[in-house]
Amino acid sequence: MQHFALTIIGRDRPGIVSQVTEILFKAGFNIADSSCSILGGQFSMILIISNPNISTTEDFIDTFKPLEENNLSVFIRTLKPGGEIRSELEGELCMISVYGADKPGIVFQVAKELGDRHINITDLNTKLVGDKLKPVYVMMLEAILPLDTEIEEIEIWMQELKQKLQVDISVRSLVVMEL
Amino acid sequence: MAVKDVLIYPDPRLKEQCLPIINFDESVQQLLQDLVDTMIDAGHSVGVAAPQLGDLRRAAVVDVSKSKLGKKQENHGLLQMVNPEIIEKEGTQIVREGCMSVPEYTGNVTRSESIVVQFLDHNQQHQVIRCDGFEAIAIQHELDHLDGFLFLDRVSSLKTDLFRRKQK
Repeated sequence: MQHFALTIIGRDRPGIVSQVTEILFKAGFNIADSSCSILGGQFSMILIISNPNISTTEDFIDTFKPLEENNLSVFIRTLKPGGEIRSELEGELCMISVYGADKPGIVFQVAKELGDRHINITDLNTKLVGDKLKPVYVMMLEAILPLDTEIEEIEIWMQELKQKLQVDISVRSLVVMEL
Repeated sequence: MAVKDVLIYPDPRLKEQCLPIINFDESVQQLLQDLVDTMIDAGHSVGVAAPQLGDLRRAAVVDVSKSKLGKKQENHGLLQMVNPEIIEKEGTQIVREGCMSVPEYTGNVTRSESIVVQFLDHNQQHQVIRCDGFEAIAIQHELDHLDGFLFLDRVSSLKTDLFRRKQK
């Protein structure tokens, strides 16, 4: 079945999820994975959807018009076959916290250290907190370490980055208790 | 020796309240053995509760001593528990749990840090033990199964919880 990634963003207010999912339900879509959250003053929704009767975006381009009329932006991505299936990620899960006085490039430089070493970031959140005069940047990320990478190595790389960026960074193994 | 299939949600038996064991007969010994065998066979598992095998009696086994995390901590090795009951709880910790009966999903759950649990062991001896850390978490998770609770009922936060706190 053809799957689509649907992204919807707009000024946060009660009723967005309800309006979006009513349209999806009435049009016969299934929601597989989804993640929705408030970013700044915006509510953002990302959903993987499918409909047995729909194979191209032309088939439902007008479906989301009511959302656009309500000041929500809608973006649809057509997934390639199998694009809805998460590939098996093997390796140790680790959590990295980065925080410190706000400055440009914190996310990029941490992500580059990881990306250059083929470490897959699976979740990432950032937030600007603190008062306006002394803003603090907080970033939390989860990553999966390749089998040949030890958590101690990450700690060493992050130690160097900590000096360079003048931020605090901590790395810890994230244990999922399989019970 | 009998390795049983572990029930997967939405099997309704996973949401049932289990009944106390009154007659500690041969069938109870057999159930405990099946739980141990199934736990060992499942490789990564540190505990199994009777309802996960479709048996709605209050019994569970836990053994964290073979797991990577559990063996680093003080633990009681293999615990075979009949009519287990947590009689004391202390502290809280947030852990990310997964469950054999709910594959491919993990969630952050708040559990007590330290517990005192009482039960009848496989020799029908009354035991009262204090457990901490991973072992305490495993016992709380397994005992929840006896009351029809899955860890999904206990998820305390989404991953982004940190940012949800209301600012002054």
